[in-house]
Amino acid sequence: MSSKRHSILPPAPSGPKPPVHFSSSITIADSAVLTGTHSIAIHGESVVHPRARLDSLAGRITVGRRCVVHERATLGAVGVSGRVAESGAAVTLADYVTVEVGAAVEAGDTVIGEGTVVGVGAKVGAGAVIGKHCTLTPHTEIAAGEVLPDYTVVYSNGMRRTDKRGMAELKNKGLARQIDVLRRIIPSNPGKFA
Amino acid sequence: MAVLTPYTFIQCPCSDSSTLGRPSDPNSSTITEADEDERTFDPRAPRSNFSLYPLEYLLYCEDCHQIRCPRCVSEEIVTYYCPNCLFEVPSSNLKSEGNRCTRSCFQCPICIGPLAVTSIETRPDPSLLAAPDNTAAPHSGPYALTCSYCNWSSTEIGIQFEKPNSIHAQLAKLRNGGSTRLTAKERKERRKDPAYRRYQATSSGEGESDQTENLDLETQFANLKAFYQNQLADPNSADTGLAALGDLGFSSPTSLSRIMSIYTGGSLQDRKAKSRLGAMREALKPDEGLQFAHLDESAAIETLRGEGHDGTASITQLVDQPPNLGEEHLHGRSRFISELRPIPYLLRTKRSKRCPVCRHIISKPEAKVQTTRFRIRLVAGSYIPSIAIRPLSLSATAGGGGSSASGATLPGALLEPLKPAHFLLTFKNPIFETIKVTLGAPAETPGRFASKVTVLCPVFEVDANTDVWDEALREGGATGGAGSGGGGEKGERRRGRYDEGSQANNGNQLEVGKIWERGRNWVSIVVEVVPASLRLDQGDAPLREDEDVLEIPLFVHVEWEGEAGGDDVLESVAAKDKGGEAREKRELAYWCVLGLGRIRK
Repeated sequence: MSSKRHSILPPAPSGPKPPVHFSSSITIADSAVLTGTHSIAIHGESVVHPRARLDSLAGRITVGRRCVVHERATLGAVGVSGRVAESGAAVTLADYVTVEVGAAVEAGDTVIGEGTVVGVGAKVGAGAVIGKHCTLTPHTEIAAGEVLPDYTVVYSNGMRRTDKRGMAELKNKGLARQIDVLRRIIPSNPGKFA
Repeated sequence: MAVLTPYTFIQCPCSDSSTLGRPSDPNSSTITEADEDERTFDPRAPRSNFSLYPLEYLLYCEDCHQIRCPRCVSEEIVTYYCPNCLFEVPSSNLKSEGNRCTRSCFQCPICIGPLAVTSIETRPDPSLLAAPDNTAAPHSGPYALTCSYCNWSSTEIGIQFEKPNSIHAQLAKLRNGGSTRLTAKERKERRKDPAYRRYQATSSGEGESDQTENLDLETQFANLKAFYQNQLADPNSADTGLAALGDLGFSSPTSLSRIMSIYTGGSLQDRKAKSRLGAMREALKPDEGLQFAHLDESAAIETLRGEGHDGTASITQLVDQPPNLGEEHLHGRSRFISELRPIPYLLRTKRSKRCPVCRHIISKPEAKVQTTRFRIRLVAGSYIPSIAIRPLSLSATAGGGGSSASGATLPGALLEPLKPAHFLLTFKNPIFETIKVTLGAPAETPGRFASKVTVLCPVFEVDANTDVWDEALREGGATGGAGSGGGGEKGERRRGRYDEGSQANNGNQLEVGKIWERGRNWVSIVVEVVPASLRLDQGDAPLREDEDVLEIPLFVHVEWEGEAGGDDVLESVAAKDKGGEAREKRELAYWCVLGLGRIRK
């Protein structure tokens, strides 16, 4: 008897299978969803949680080194504007980016800078450019096309302030250690997407 | 538009305008005080806003047999505690330390999130082999308060702590920017120190060098106080008047009483007292509490240019700031975000509530901070009947009867103007006695749009809230002929209900004076309303907010027989010993407001 529980719902239409460029050191869960027609590149030591969704229908998706994409986070969602990337790059995550549970990064030349944390349930609009080491607290929304300077903290319904702690290095180290743990916990199956 | 669910609000008798002795409403000023009791309660009167409560908010005094609302109870504080660390604060500490947590609980001055104490010291990377010793050592070095939500850190205002505990005490000694300041006690000790005195003597001899010293509020106050106390105690400051009066200093209580007598009576001494006050000199040095105003605000303007509006603190942030005795003098203060200090948590209280009339406790929480239980809590819901409202649709049961009204069938649906609608009011009896309920409602609702109201059955009885099993067993007994009179009666009532049901099938469903349905401890009756038309004539004032809500004032009078002498137990025991049934008639009357729904515009 199988102990695994199966969903009653029919499996979601997965769409076309995108061409992928994976680094050999990444961790990607079996149940992550990668769809679209453009290529998806994930660089070294990044972690993609189960049920994370990477959609390259609108353009190329690039995930930098040591990024963490949590459960139900969506990269490259085609937003309300339905904007398609002009340069061909839908979403670009630099290194050390964390996209937390349920967050959405819309497609269309969206760039998220190094060390930035996109909080739980946050939304980054199409074409937004987030600077380095920013913090988007849970449920914040960044409008399409907005440009956030480095070290910005967006909190409490769109209030902005500058992080002056100077802990970027420390945060990156912490993230590296978190990734170490995640690699042991999440069974990786990059072969499924190849 | 938001869907309106039917509601019942109960008016606490404490807000009765007749007891307040003030004219209640300019519109009803023609009504004399004697008519006050006869007057229909108007739920739309501005005063009513403050006297209507849902049943759940009300308490009940068992001794006065009266409803008590949050406005008419007297509160006593049981404990003070910090909402963050849940430590109880004794009230003696409260007087000396103030109403904030003096441990390490702080709120972020930017976003009021809780602050955590973290070590600033970067720990060496454990992966590096170079520093194996330090990895084992716990956190050390300077600490800072950090907010995990908005990433604020106390290092932004230049504050670091040496120890991770008793942050409050450490913070009191630190100015923004990290420079230490002396507490009142230390300052007193410094003044006693001979070396410091010598330094003071020389510097004041030299002249102005010390005058630029910035005094914070606490220091300035302390200096001024010391200076004036000196002046008052100084016998030289008193002018040479009448020797008998003059040799008493101002600070002695006898002279204070004399001054008071001067103010009330004699004029000669009055002049004298004035001349004596004039003999005192003002503070001249910072040591005596003199503080020059900094009128040069160019630095603040410069910062404002640099940081803009985003750099200034919002009003809420400023209001949240705790009073800081170590603050700069008023003139040196600016309102930038970069100067906000961490906020120690405000203490919370647990309160017990007393009836204001008989002083009996009607609500008392458990004194322990961690428990949320109550030792005593007399909620009105267990003493007075609850009223539930449900729209009644007759079209389903009537079978096309002509009289059937297509009222609001769905809860929250709009009421059609000028079309009769029916509502079921279900009275549920929470007490263990049978209650007799008498309802009174005005034929037309007060206000601009008078809807017609008919309570079809204004007098009825609701059975006691007996045990469910008791009821079942008694019904069985009643059929066997062994039941008491009450049981037999009940059976009859039950049958009555079925009779009604059969009548309803005949199309004559709404009979005046008949109960619609009844159960173990509840009774449903029908209220018919004819909503008013909301049409406005030319020149009428426009519809105000919520004026389209159909609200019915309903006077509820409840009668029951309770055990006598609730406040005198001994007497009732004696009465029981005699074998006499010590029962007493009790009654309770109050207005309530039934909100039935919105009328279609």
